[in-house]
Amino acid sequence: MARTVYQEVTPTPAIWMIAILMGAFVAAAGVSVLYIEHNGHIVTGMNNQIVWGLPHVFAIFLIVAASGALNVASIASVFGKIENKPMARYSGLLSIALLLGGLAVLVLDLGRPDRLIIAMTQYNFKSIFAWNMLLYNGFFVIVGTYIYVQMARGMSEKVIKIVGTAAFVWRLALTTGTGSIFGWLVARSGYDAAIMAPMFIVMSFSFGLAFFILVLGSTFPLTGRFLGDNLIKRLGRLLGVFAAAVLYFTAIRHLSNLYATEHHDFERFILMGDTIFTPLFWIGQVLIGGLIPVAMLLRKAEKTTKMQVMIASILIVIGGFAQLYGIVIGGQAFPLEIFPGYDVTSAFYDGTINSYTPTIYELALGLGGVALAVLVAGVGVVALRILPMTLCDEEIDPTAPDF
Amino acid sequence: MTQLPTSTDKKLGLVIDLDTCVGCHACVISCKGWNTENYGAPLADVDAYGANPVGSFLNRVHSYEVQPESGPSQLVHFPKSCLHCEDAPCVPVCPTGASYKRSEDGIVLVNEDACIGCGLCAWACPYGAREMDPTAGVMKKCTLCVDRIYNENLPEEDRIPSCVRTCPSGARHFGDFADPNSNVSKLVAERGGMDLMPEMGTKPVNKYLPPRIKDTLNTAGTCGELETVSEDATGFLGWLDKALEKL
Repeated sequence: MARTVYQEVTPTPAIWMIAILMGAFVAAAGVSVLYIEHNGHIVTGMNNQIVWGLPHVFAIFLIVAASGALNVASIASVFGKIENKPMARYSGLLSIALLLGGLAVLVLDLGRPDRLIIAMTQYNFKSIFAWNMLLYNGFFVIVGTYIYVQMARGMSEKVIKIVGTAAFVWRLALTTGTGSIFGWLVARSGYDAAIMAPMFIVMSFSFGLAFFILVLGSTFPLTGRFLGDNLIKRLGRLLGVFAAAVLYFTAIRHLSNLYATEHHDFERFILMGDTIFTPLFWIGQVLIGGLIPVAMLLRKAEKTTKMQVMIASILIVIGGFAQLYGIVIGGQAFPLEIFPGYDVTSAFYDGTINSYTPTIYELALGLGGVALAVLVAGVGVVALRILPMTLCDEEIDPTAPDF
Repeated sequence: MTQLPTSTDKKLGLVIDLDTCVGCHACVISCKGWNTENYGAPLADVDAYGANPVGSFLNRVHSYEVQPESGPSQLVHFPKSCLHCEDAPCVPVCPTGASYKRSEDGIVLVNEDACIGCGLCAWACPYGAREMDPTAGVMKKCTLCVDRIYNENLPEEDRIPSCVRTCPSGARHFGDFADPNSNVSKLVAERGGMDLMPEMGTKPVNKYLPPRIKDTLNTAGTCGELETVSEDATGFLGWLDKALEKL
């Protein structure tokens, strides 16, 4: 493998245009936050039944993807795949940027975001939410260190491997913590499942890698760098395996629920209901986000093109949003069962599907988080030597077979 | 770390008699009034007189028409507020420890100054008893009127929760469940007081007294026809009856 040369990106007019666009989204999110904070959450679609809304879908997607975006670096440092090594710095930077975007949305959508200092200083260690705060903050420190040891001159490979392994273990813990928020909610039929934690880990592998491929595939042409076909196809095949694993975990989750009579009503609501959640599941998650991209990515490699890998990544991101919308909103929309075994109706939401219509403010806040992540990643590659000058196949690994 | 107390000195709570509750909502109004005027930030009331009124209530009355397999249906009014569970699932999930259960009397409270409004406790409560105040941005819940029951500035008869004090049908009772001789413990023992959703394992302190079995009426067809109590008319009335029939 040839020596990899990293260089800062020189902003071009196209890059400036993207930065301005992302800045506009971030500004729109800022205005939305001010409006929501001034008027209270009453101006959003959220209510006492749907406590977490669209911003949380964005936030959780970004947090989960952040953990997964570190895959490429982990594969290089922990599992010794040298062809991934030139992308490791970018992988680390993108994971930090995505986590920052996700946390920004999460924090700004709190009932009292001004009390963030309380959340950072008063920990109830019985709460998985408090543990997540430590895991998120620790992720910044560990991945930041990981990027540093990769960039520092004369740093031994052993140190890089140790820090890389620590980052890998930490990201597994982080996604376990995120999934456990839902898995440990015994009061709700839609959650209360131990499989949530490993499912979130697999989701992070898939969503994070899809996001990484999309950003990599758009950044390199934009900065006049070359991206090898074999490299992107190899990442695509790995993504196909991850997307198939998400389908597998999804199937197991629903089959487990179908085995328990107490969850039958919830499964009927998701799988066969007449609400948005049923088409979101079958069309959004399973078909668009699962079967189609898996078929595109895992068919004969020589027939796969770079563009197809990019399209499949977009489909997986869309499917990821559909999946998280179903988990977060769908789980809350299903009513609490105060009197199990009875058909119950009253004037106070008993027995009725809780409705939720996201407002433009929530959408703006969520999109602002994505834009912030892109903006931070962009500033990172402009300011630091993160991006290699080329990722052509011969430079990375001349011994790897062509697809 | 916010631990649930392994035991509490007292177990203060409510007994709600579903047999005598008439669903008048006086407890709802009284609760809203007391908790708006007397502690923390007022409970939200948005668009109160408009088309879509929204607000926070710490106590709500659900009304159900119960239809047995046979016999007439029955209207049951079901007031619901925080049940101050012994194993309250809302407490351990709180990331800042704002949600806690007092060891001295078992009341579950929220320290509103430490609440960041993440909403996780509302997810954790299987009863839906917590309400995120849409304007204050913090979680609100029944305090069992902790600012009344120990308030020596109030007359002694007022040192009970506002909802109990105001209930016109005497359907709400307040007391210490840790004391087997208390009014609430006796009521529960006599009337078969029940937990709400005992299968959740939260051990709610509040209890519900089930509606008494109603009187049943014989349905049509089982009574038989009425017996004849008079014979044909005779005399002048007999003659008049026949004359009118001819007409």
